[in-house]
Order: sequence, then C-alpha cells, then structure tokens
Amino acid sequence: MPDPGAEGSSAALAPRFEPDEGWVPADERRFGLDRRTLRPTLAVFVLVFIMSVVLPVINATVPYHDIVRAGDVLELEGNVTFVPEAGWGITSGLREGHGPISGQYPAAATIEDGALKFTVRTGPFHGDAGQLLDQIEATTDALNQGRGVHITGAPATIVTAAGKEGTTVRVTGPHTAGLIAAFVFGDRGVKAVATGPTGAGAEPSAAVLRMIGSISQSGPEKR
Amino acid sequence: MTTTLTELDRARDVALDLSGWGRRFVFYQPRNFAFWGYLALVGIGVLTFFSTLAREYNAYGEAIGRAVTSFAIYAALFWWFTDRIDHYAKLPHKLMVVAFVWGGFAATGTMAANANDAILAMYGKTFGQVWALNWGAGLAAPFTEELAKGSGLLLLIALAQRHVRTAFDGFILGAFIGLGFQIVEDITYAMTSAGTQFGANQIGASVGTIILRMLTGVAAHILYSAIFCAGVVYLFGRPAEPRKIGRGLLLIAIPMLLHGTWDSVAAIAGQNALTLIGLLIGTIVVALIIVARVYKLTVARERDFVRDVMAPEQARNVISRIELDAMAGNRKARKAYRKAGRNRQERKRARYVLNAGYALADELAAARGADTDRVRFARSEVARIRAGLPSPW
Repeated sequence: MPDPGAEGSSAALAPRFEPDEGWVPADERRFGLDRRTLRPTLAVFVLVFIMSVVLPVINATVPYHDIVRAGDVLELEGNVTFVPEAGWGITSGLREGHGPISGQYPAAATIEDGALKFTVRTGPFHGDAGQLLDQIEATTDALNQGRGVHITGAPATIVTAAGKEGTTVRVTGPHTAGLIAAFVFGDRGVKAVATGPTGAGAEPSAAVLRMIGSISQSGPEKR
Repeated sequence: MTTTLTELDRARDVALDLSGWGRRFVFYQPRNFAFWGYLALVGIGVLTFFSTLAREYNAYGEAIGRAVTSFAIYAALFWWFTDRIDHYAKLPHKLMVVAFVWGGFAATGTMAANANDAILAMYGKTFGQVWALNWGAGLAAPFTEELAKGSGLLLLIALAQRHVRTAFDGFILGAFIGLGFQIVEDITYAMTSAGTQFGANQIGASVGTIILRMLTGVAAHILYSAIFCAGVVYLFGRPAEPRKIGRGLLLIAIPMLLHGTWDSVAAIAGQNALTLIGLLIGTIVVALIIVARVYKLTVARERDFVRDVMAPEQARNVISRIELDAMAGNRKARKAYRKAGRNRQERKRARYVLNAGYALADELAAARGADTDRVRFARSEVARIRAGLPSPW
C-alpha cells in the first residue's frame, strides 16, 4: 500500500545520465576497442573457423574407397538402375537392395575413375527423350550463362541393352569434354553425364557406353 | 507493510536499469569488436546466398520468385507473432532485424552449410552412405545449425549489452535468429526442388516443398533457437538473469535433441507412412509443449519489470490495481480483466485502457522513469480512454 504522505509529482528526479552506446570506459579499452567485446567475438570466430575451415579440411584428408565390384548394380529413385564399371570408385549412390531405412533411394549417383566422372540423375518428367535433352540443354545454358560446359554437335539416338531408346549429345567445356544421354521411362526422366579431361579423346570410352547401355527401370515406380 | 512512493520510484529505476527496457539501440559501433565480427560474417553469408541466387535465377527464376514471395509473407506472419509475444519489457526492433539477418546469412551460408557438407561426407566415408543417409542429417544439423544460430546471440549480447538482459530477451532474439535461418533455408530448399525435374515444371516441383516447409516450420528453427538462446543466457548469466548452468545446458540440449529427432523421423519410422506421420505430429506437439513451458519460465521476470515500472503509476492513481495486475499478468489475466466489463462497450474500453497502459510503460521506459512531456501525454491518454472521450488528434 503506498504511503499517501509521499504523494507528489512522479519521478521528479532527472533520470541518471547514461553515456551513448559507442562510449567505452577508459579502463576497458584495448587497441581502441571495447575489451569486453573481444572474447565473445573471438569465440564466434573460433567456431566459424572450425565449421568452415577445420571440418572441410579434415573431410578432404579422409580417404574414401568404395570400389565397384563385378555384379554391383546402383539404384536410384524411381527404381532406375545402372551397372557401374568394376574398379571405378563410388562417390555417391547406393547399391541395389541396400537402400536407406525409409526405402527412398537418392535421385543421383556418381562414380569416378581417375579424371573420368559418370553421374546418373533421375526425376519426374513428362515428354520424350528428345524433349528431356532440350530441357537439360536449356537449364544447363541458363545455369552456366555461357561459361562452363555447353552442348556441341547434333543429338544422336542411343539404345540401351534392354532396348530403350534415348538421345545423346556431346558436351565440351574449358577443361572437360564428354556426353549427355537422356532417357524417359514413363513419367521418369534419366540424365546420364560422362565427363573427362579435354585431352582424353573425343570418343566416349567403351566403359561409359556400357554403363549408359545398362540404364533401366526395374519394376513399377513406387510412390 | 507500507511502501512509499519514493521506494516505488526507486524500484522502477532499478527495474529500468536492469531490464534495459526503452534504451535506444545503435548498430554502428566502430569500437565494438562484435560489430566488425558481425559485419564480416554476415557479409560473407550475404555474398554466398545472393551469388547462388543470381546464378540459379536464370534457370529457376519462376520458382525462386514464388518461393521468395511465399516465404516473405510467411516471415511477416511469424515476425508479427514473435513481436506480439514480446509485449512486456520490449526489445528494440532494430535489434530484432540484426538477429534475423544473422540467422539468415551468417548462420547459414558462412557457418552451418560448410560444416554440414563436411560432416555428412565424413559420415559417408566412415560409416557408409546408407548409414549417412539414415542418420547423417540427424547427427550433423542439430550441432552445426544450433551452434551457428546460437553463437549469434553472443555477438548480439556484445552489441547490445544494455538491452539483452534476461533469458526472455534471449528467447525472443533466438526466435528471430531462427526465423531468418528458416526463411533462407526454405528458399534454398525450394530452389533445389525446382531443379529436380531438370528445370521443367518448376512451380509444381517446388510448391510441395514450400507448403511442407511452411507447415513443419511452425515447430522448427524458430522454436529451437528460441529455447537454445534462452539457455545461452542462463548458461552465461546476465545482469537481470542470474547464472543457472544446469538449466542453461538443459535448454541448449533440448532443441538439439528435438532437431535431431526431427531430422531422423524418416529413419525411425521406416517405410510405414502412418508411423512417419504419427512421429512428425508427435515431435511437433512435444516441441510446442516445451517451448510454451520455456516461454512461461522466462517471461516471469519481464512481468516483474512491468509491475515495477507501473506500480508508481498505480500508486498515483493513473491506473487501478486491477489494471496493474492485468498488465503484469499473463494472457488469462488480461482476458479476465477485459471480460469483467458489464457490456461490450466497457469490454472494448478495457482493452484500449490496457493498450494505453502499455504505451505509457514504453514511454516511461524510454524516459528512464522521468516525467517528460511524452510520459504526461501517455498518462493523459489513459485517463481520456477510461473516461470514454474521443481523441482530439
């Protein structure tokens, strides 16, 4: 209960003076900076250094060896499979029958052999192989904006071992060359990209052609 | 016990001093090392994000436009909500913007994205790609992303030492950091989705992601960071919040656990869609219950500040005892006060009186308790509204 005798104008006293935000007490200055702000900022810098430098460097030094054995089949989303060449290294992608617990295979797989790289990617697509290739070309050009790899030459027809007809075209870039193949299985498109150093020769290797030829869709697509 | 007005005024001064309520926040502080640290780290994040956006815009412009518009509206709604729950000892809006920008650019592009990629790759190399797909995200993102977001609060405290004083301040700023992180992450996800059909049908490919992220975002980064940052304040202590190490560590661990569970639900549920939906809903419900508890835990001190600041006004009969209780009470107390009116007009007026009371509290805080023209005007507004007089302005 307030004391009525103390009634008077509210807070008659002037507010205590507060220096502005930028003012630093003389005994808290180091190198012209507020000493109290050094430790928290340095702590954040240490965290940034660990996240952006230390972890990527450790990752780069950890070797990865997942070599394709004869008979291995890689599976992608939508029951799309291909047979990788034995001896190549799997950079990403899962073997058929060894999917994640959710049953959802990733949409892409990449294997490498030295400087040669082979990537297969799938996704929903309505249209034929020619239209898919046109779409891939349009998207690649838009992303690269005249830089990086671009499509050269006329599209050609390619047929897989299972008899599926697709379209292929050559690609070249400042330091790489290779080919793109496009297939459409029902409502699912498949893009296979093989690239290597420009000096590796204009013709795709037999191994790349075998892998493209092995692309198929096994069974109906799970939804 | 009799409390004199002098004592009440002194208690108000102490509350204003402790809470930092009403102090102006200045971002440009060249003598503050945190200012330079913030600028550098946010700058890197802004460059990373916009260079990606600019590159991808040519290919996925349609989807990016849709995603940015949708998430901007979504962010505005969450911004309004978070700002609304901070209606006691309010933080400056400028500080909320600074928190949002940290979450959106520094915590994502400068910090978490790099660490996530490296950790996921290492998991794949060490435990195999199947294991990494099952558990990698759930055992990487909770550490990298929560730490990246939460570390921003350390810089914000250094930048606004006189404003960030309570665990509730940490809670609110954490929510804004989380909001920034979530919006930028959502736009990035939508951009990735736009490319899943080779660049065709961009809207169709990304709209599912946009809707899913909006629905699940209710109990995601905003909530995790709010709890985490409240924990950071408890862990280190602030002038108005005594250090409680155990509570701080618990509040830091909880969002990490929630985040890890959320990122692992697909692996936990297996291929059973019903289990998956049940787990998703369960995780959201548990997260919402926890955040409500943390809100209740942290807001108590802010309510005490409101009581201390407004008690002299009640003693001078500017507001009544019931109005003071409603102002310093929870939503239920304010509702009970409004509902006590005999008719619709009285109930409406009660709401306006409360709003005018909060406006007076803000003016008192800005004036550091002094009797300024603005404070006197705010007092007269309370009286005018209570008397049912129309505004002359």
